Amino acid sequence: MATRAFQRLPTAPAGRILALRLAAIVLSLFIIAGVLALSGHSPLMLAELILRSTIGSRFGLEDLALFMCPLLLTGAAVCVCGTIGLWNIGAEGQFYAGAIAATGVALGLHGPAVVLLPLMTIAGIAGGMAWITVPTLARAYAGVNEIITTLLLNFIASLLTYYLTTGPWRDRISGAQVSTQRIPVAIPEMWGIVHWGFPVAIVIVIGLALVLSRTRWGYEIRLGGANPEAARYAGIPVRVRIISVMLLSGGLAGLAGMFEVAGTVHRLQGGMANNFGYLGIVVAVLARGSCLNVIPAALLMALILDSGIVMQTQQLSSSVVLAITGLILFMIAIGDELAHYRPLARTTTGEKTR
Amino acid sequence: MNKQSAPPGMPPGTPPVLQLRGIGKFFPGVIANKDVDLDVWPGEIHALLGENGAGKSTLMNVVTGIYQPEEGEIILDGYGQAFASPQDAIRAGIGMVHQHFKLVEAFTVAENIHLGWDEAPRMASPAMLEARTREISERFGFPVRPDARVGDLSAGEQQRVEILRVLARRARLLIMDEPTAVLTPEETGELFRALRAFRAQGNAVIIISHKLDEVMEISDRVSILRGGRKVGTFLTADCTPSMLAATMVGRDIVRRNMRARPEGAAPIAADPVMQLRHVSVRDGRGVETLRDVSLDLHGGEILGIAGVAGNGQRELTHVLTGLMARTAGEIMLDGNLVERADPALFAHAGVGHIPEDRLRSALAPSLSITTNMALREYTSPPIDRHGLYDAKAAGELAHGIAELAQVSIPDFAMPVRNLSGGNQQRLVARREIRIATRVLVAAYPARGLDIGAIATMLGYLTDLRDQGVAVVFISEDLEDLLNVSDRIGVMFHGRLMSVIDAEAADMATIGLLMGGREPADLPGAGVRQ
Repeated sequence: MATRAFQRLPTAPAGRILALRLAAIVLSLFIIAGVLALSGHSPLMLAELILRSTIGSRFGLEDLALFMCPLLLTGAAVCVCGTIGLWNIGAEGQFYAGAIAATGVALGLHGPAVVLLPLMTIAGIAGGMAWITVPTLARAYAGVNEIITTLLLNFIASLLTYYLTTGPWRDRISGAQVSTQRIPVAIPEMWGIVHWGFPVAIVIVIGLALVLSRTRWGYEIRLGGANPEAARYAGIPVRVRIISVMLLSGGLAGLAGMFEVAGTVHRLQGGMANNFGYLGIVVAVLARGSCLNVIPAALLMALILDSGIVMQTQQLSSSVVLAITGLILFMIAIGDELAHYRPLARTTTGEKTR
Repeated sequence: MNKQSAPPGMPPGTPPVLQLRGIGKFFPGVIANKDVDLDVWPGEIHALLGENGAGKSTLMNVVTGIYQPEEGEIILDGYGQAFASPQDAIRAGIGMVHQHFKLVEAFTVAENIHLGWDEAPRMASPAMLEARTREISERFGFPVRPDARVGDLSAGEQQRVEILRVLARRARLLIMDEPTAVLTPEETGELFRALRAFRAQGNAVIIISHKLDEVMEISDRVSILRGGRKVGTFLTADCTPSMLAATMVGRDIVRRNMRARPEGAAPIAADPVMQLRHVSVRDGRGVETLRDVSLDLHGGEILGIAGVAGNGQRELTHVLTGLMARTAGEIMLDGNLVERADPALFAHAGVGHIPEDRLRSALAPSLSITTNMALREYTSPPIDRHGLYDAKAAGELAHGIAELAQVSIPDFAMPVRNLSGGNQQRLVARREIRIATRVLVAAYPARGLDIGAIATMLGYLTDLRDQGVAVVFISEDLEDLLNVSDRIGVMFHGRLMSVIDAEAADMATIGLLMGGREPADLPGAGVRQ
């Protein structure tokens, strides 16, 4: 028998994961610094600049919060779907659907913000839910793989946004390209340019974590995700739960779109989802299935995004920035996997482990 | 008994196709085979008979190169052989048709026949493969449609493809594991005709079966395995079904009567708590897996269910607990007709269920022990408080269950899969006993437990019985069944052959019923329905 010096644990302790992720990030920063130094940039100067324009200044912190807001919601959308064992790859499309619905309300109705904002919120959530309805029903009743259906609907939502912003809803006032006119209402700002959507998103994520761990419904979702057969055995209507969870997931992503329209961009723009839907998948994976972990995961992702923008101002091309992002996430994935391994004591090596 | 000489009618000097000498195969803690000698001659159909766990499958896996034996030798046509892989065995002319077909459903018959065959042409059009398949099919006398997709075929047709796959690779020894389990009587007849034709060409067949009548019909000789060892080889002509049944199960059974009720135990209730009336179940392929089963469950009584695994026990369990919808018949719970299969309805009515495969169907392996222990009671107080889930109350429940089950748990937050199989089984049993106020359906509850734990588990069942609960105890261990059951039902091919009084039951009768003998044909045993 081959000797195995390491044993793979089915579950990795949280402490080890955290330690290995930090190590992975530090290691990838060194690699990046090395490569940047070789290509004639000064890593120290870049690092200083990045720190100053993210966590080192008030303006940087505000930017970070604005990046985090949609990531929190799309991350939570993917995370809650994952709890019942399904992958919502379509947060991007649901984000657009929510943004379109909210913009429609803002452009079509007239009234004070107190009336319009709640209506836009409802429209945003409903838009996201509507966008995931077909994948949901197909999954629940016909067993159609939700990964494919949610993904494909992203392209339709994205192109629909381009159509609206260049066609019927195009900006006829200032003539801005691929954009609607500025919408008449906005989510109030609480701290600089950070709007109230940010704390609301934090509260939603915490609330979701509580619902999943502290309610009967959450128990049924967790059981259904961990073992659908055991859930059926326990008498849980798994199909109904799948429908409710997927609609909730779509609603969260739709809300992210509404917040972006009404709080940050103040108009519907082609390409405004900015990959937030796909990055929500990354956030959920980093959170390792725990809704509460979505908060630090969204912060890390926002930091990476923000740093990327700073680097682009320093004549680093966007592909280099993407490669750097990929490297960091790749190293974290390796760290996560390594956290599962435990060295075996000397005495037991060489014996057949069964 | 283990004749070295050829059976009558064999020209002298002919070596056996296959000779096994002192085969031993061990797994950690288990002796799967020990000292097995077996001769299979050209032109014979050799039946291999034995209970579950008697070592038939292991022995055949040794012969086909899937396992390497730790002891003994394999001799083919007089020459010693060692198979490093199944491919070696196939090259040596040994082919096996498994009970669960190993075909690619999305491929055509012709593609399946040629898959992984070194003689298949490298460049071939579908038409060419189909022509080759047609030629093979005619040569061996197994009609198939070469262009049909395997997924569209019936079980019998799929089996013909599987057999052709083996024969096309020039097998001279064909091993068939439970070949008739999925066949209709007509298909069985066709299969037997084809096997006889195969034998007539001087080839040999080993057929693994539980069905005594079929063994009597098709085989020339029978070898019986018990507890991993061969009991003997007999000329089928010299055998009777009852003698085979007795030899198959006939170890010394320790009859320990656990039927005696203590003072104050609940008597057997007069009115049944649950009734099945002509219940049948059809699976996705249209095969009837449960056929016309009628059954009464009475409080304060243990009903044992005997039978070789896979004869409808799983379906019966699922129908009794609301996990599977019946296709015909009626189910009455407390005298009320149950409209639809709904596991929640059965659980709330006080039906507990210890399923056969607990890790797959009764537990969520990745979730915590506490979460898993709350599975049956999260909808009721104190865990459920107006829709909220009280984790503290769930923790207390889990502690209570673990204490009763005598399982010491260092950390209730760790995933339940970290526990040993035996401890998982105890926890599931105690959890189900808590809700089983009317009925407990226990499928193979002693599987994977050591002797002490088995005694504890059987004690749980008799305690429940004394509290007036109706217990359904499904097991393949006749000893346990005879010790605790009041009545024993025997399942065969989805049918409940007969329900007999356990006190008066004898092994031979149960063995014959397990082998598919009609109760009416039995020599006047204490049969009552």
